Amino acid sequence: MTQRMLAPFTALGGGVLKLARGVGQWGVLTLETGRALREVPIWGRLLLGQMARVGVDSVPIALFVACFTGIVLSLQASYTFTGAIPLYFVGTLVGKTMMLELGPVLTGLALSGRVGANIAAELGTMRVTEQVDALETLAYDPVAYLVVPRVLAGIIMFPVVTILAIAMGIGSGWVTALQLLDMTSQEFYRGVTLFFVPFDVRYAAIKALSFGFTVCSVGCFFGFTTQGGAEGVGRSTTRAVVVSSMVILVLDAFWAVVLL
Amino acid sequence: MKDIYKAFGEKEVLRGFTLEIRDGETLTVLGQSGSGKSVMLKHIVGLLTPDSGEAWVDGLHVGSLSREELYRLRRKVGYVFQFAALFDSMTIAENVGLGLVRIGEMSRAEILERVEECLQLVDLVGYEERYPSELSGGQKKRAGLARAIATRPAYVLYDEPTTGLDPVTKTVIDRLILRTRDELGVTGVVITHDMESAYRVSDRIAMLYEGRIRFVGTPDELRACQDPVVQGFIQGEPELLEATT
Repeated sequence: MTQRMLAPFTALGGGVLKLARGVGQWGVLTLETGRALREVPIWGRLLLGQMARVGVDSVPIALFVACFTGIVLSLQASYTFTGAIPLYFVGTLVGKTMMLELGPVLTGLALSGRVGANIAAELGTMRVTEQVDALETLAYDPVAYLVVPRVLAGIIMFPVVTILAIAMGIGSGWVTALQLLDMTSQEFYRGVTLFFVPFDVRYAAIKALSFGFTVCSVGCFFGFTTQGGAEGVGRSTTRAVVVSSMVILVLDAFWAVVLL
Repeated sequence: MKDIYKAFGEKEVLRGFTLEIRDGETLTVLGQSGSGKSVMLKHIVGLLTPDSGEAWVDGLHVGSLSREELYRLRRKVGYVFQFAALFDSMTIAENVGLGLVRIGEMSRAEILERVEECLQLVDLVGYEERYPSELSGGQKKRAGLARAIATRPAYVLYDEPTTGLDPVTKTVIDRLILRTRDELGVTGVVITHDMESAYRVSDRIAMLYEGRIRFVGTPDELRACQDPVVQGFIQGEPELLEATT
């Protein structure tokens, strides 16, 4: 009877311990990644390839998401402002929202699905088929070989992809304003530049950099700790996407508190 | 290996495992599935660390080596994995040459020459540009062996090299193990539960039972051994094994 009453607390305690263990292991992997940075001969020749996979290959999905976000932002702004606020503020809202919030966050979330899942599945498969052990027996540090190039690629390429996405979002918002809102380019441009400060771009880049690190290191962590066969790989992949998406949203709020 | 204990959670796999492997010999470790043979093998190259006990290779205590020292030791050891563990994203030539690239003492041309030499030894010439997914099970095992010997290691560890193969391919792999010993002079440790294979390739055979060595001796001594556990295993009679527990 007492055991049944305590069951929810036992489950809660078990969950908290599991979470703490996971965070601890991820912290250890992050420290190991820092240590493995000095193994340049191992990861150096792999970095460009990973930058292409993490960054260049992600450009289409990031631009697709940003394009439609820009269109919707432009139309919703005009719908909200009609009659009360001058229409050139559509440019302000599209520009500010894309730069400060939706550009980095939507790109981060889209890439957590594409990049994070890809990394977790690839490393998870390598783990369960002993390819990671095989690397070790060939005297390769698996963290230097597998984790460092992916995490560095994320840190470098997420800001680049995000900046492109922001440009696309503002561009699609501008075209929408011209075609559907009866605005001129000058009006839209005036709105975009009205409250623009260079810090906006830096802010977006800082957020994107932290999202890139998160998505890639969380993907590597779940891939590395995969157990079991195909089911284990599937579980790791799902967890990588869910956890990195959650961390992106937490970081989004964190940067707003710290930097704005 | 001295008095090694290793447990995974509640499950005790090795319980006082002690075994000496002599230079130049091919020693086979027999045991039932799940008896801890692969766990034992992984201790030799530091892929696993014992809960207690010591693994020594070349006069070095594996457990107390620094990361760099461990990697230096691993360069002397080739490891043939049960399911080959070839890197999916690399061609066979890249797989075989990867260890040589890491050592960094050979030019690209020399590496290609060594890769060719190893593929010739395992009869896989012409497969250089293929990917592991394009190879059969036996070919993958041979490619795994080529990768293990490419760095000219002093020791080669074979984890169930013939499991799941047809009789002809088994014989081919066994002959490769013998060729590796005779032509390259390596010390080999073979893990298997295939008796035919064990008799064919071994200078000595050891039997792992309940986490420790139950028997070690030459193939002839194994055949003559009267221990019911050993006889039960080599004759495939579970009743003999059960009678002793």
